Amino acid sequence: MVGTDAPAAGRFERAVLPHLSAGFTLAMYLTGNRADAEDSVQEAVLRAIRYFHTLRDDDARAWFLTIVRRVCLTAYRMSRAETADAISIDANRLQLVDDRERPDTAAERLQVQQRVRDAIGQLPPLLREVIVLRELQSCSYDEIATVTDVPLGTVMSRLSRARARLANLLHDVVDFGDVA
Amino acid sequence: MSERPDLGQAMREALPVYDAPAALQAWAREEARKTDSAPQSHRQLTGRTSRVALLLSRWQFAAGLVIAAAAGWAGASLRSPDRISSITSETANALVDTHVRSMLPGHLMDVQSSDRHTVKPWFAGKMDIAPAVVDLTEKGFPLLGGRLDYVDGHPAAALVYGRRKHTINLFVWRSAGAEPPSGSSSVRGYSLLHWTSGGVSYWAVTDASPSDLEAFREAYVGSGL
Repeated sequence: MVGTDAPAAGRFERAVLPHLSAGFTLAMYLTGNRADAEDSVQEAVLRAIRYFHTLRDDDARAWFLTIVRRVCLTAYRMSRAETADAISIDANRLQLVDDRERPDTAAERLQVQQRVRDAIGQLPPLLREVIVLRELQSCSYDEIATVTDVPLGTVMSRLSRARARLANLLHDVVDFGDVA
Repeated sequence: MSERPDLGQAMREALPVYDAPAALQAWAREEARKTDSAPQSHRQLTGRTSRVALLLSRWQFAAGLVIAAAAGWAGASLRSPDRISSITSETANALVDTHVRSMLPGHLMDVQSSDRHTVKPWFAGKMDIAPAVVDLTEKGFPLLGGRLDYVDGHPAAALVYGRRKHTINLFVWRSAGAEPPSGSSSVRGYSLLHWTSGGVSYWAVTDASPSDLEAFREAYVGSGL
């Protein structure tokens, strides 16, 4: 029988398990709801098990995120970039309140954050994912190209289109440098 | 007004980064360990593949449960359990007590729905496992709802199914070490059926007949097809 003595974490566990939450986060931003995100990640884990032998290099995170994204796109038809619905993003459960902050400043800050969430939620999925991977998950451009399965040049142009759209909505509260 | 943040900063302040739910992490860890300890795992996985195909072909409807159920179905033994008395009387009594209590008015369901897409997410975050929630109406066991319960010292997910005028409570919890082997039992006129699959313990309890219960188990375990 299995499980008579608990083994040290094996190869798959070490490679994939640390990236479960990154995968879940990406799935949340693609599907927009917890149930679908959870199911997508679960499906992605099953696929990762099946295709584990195809993982060659060290970047298991990009590899796993690639699988999560494919599941999301295939199962939830988000490949139709321009027609997919906007998602609604909930605020962090913990809203840090600084006692030294003036109430009206705090309110303004929370309002800005809500506008950022709305703006990201309204982006077409293919633009939303590149900006989330870049700014929230700190992926390199190469990793984004891997995960989204497009050439580097496409990554750059999508990032710039995403920034332009966001600048249009948020230029008064977010510094976009030269992009706007 | 304060300095405007750049986009990265604004996004990191405004946008949540999520933790995978505990139930999903526990499930994934278990699957990972099975994979890591079983080099011949290809054979076991073929059964899941077809469910994946099903999911993707019915993406609008099937997305949720098929996947979730795979965890519960994987490795489930289809062979009939031996009729044995090894279900400990203590657990069996506790299960029957809980079943009887659930029959009291207002106790049967926390979430009342025949929609598995409603019932399954309801358990998310409330349990350390995601029980496979399948509607077995076509097999004669309509899904009625679900409930959180506490049985014999375990938190348990209880799935409630109907069988004609009768009710079946399917209690699901993560196996903690020594589980009695699969088997059936009868306590105070109630029928019990127990099986274990993928580290998850299943106990079905009903006032319907033992043969109904056996049919239910076959329908539930076989519903991945």
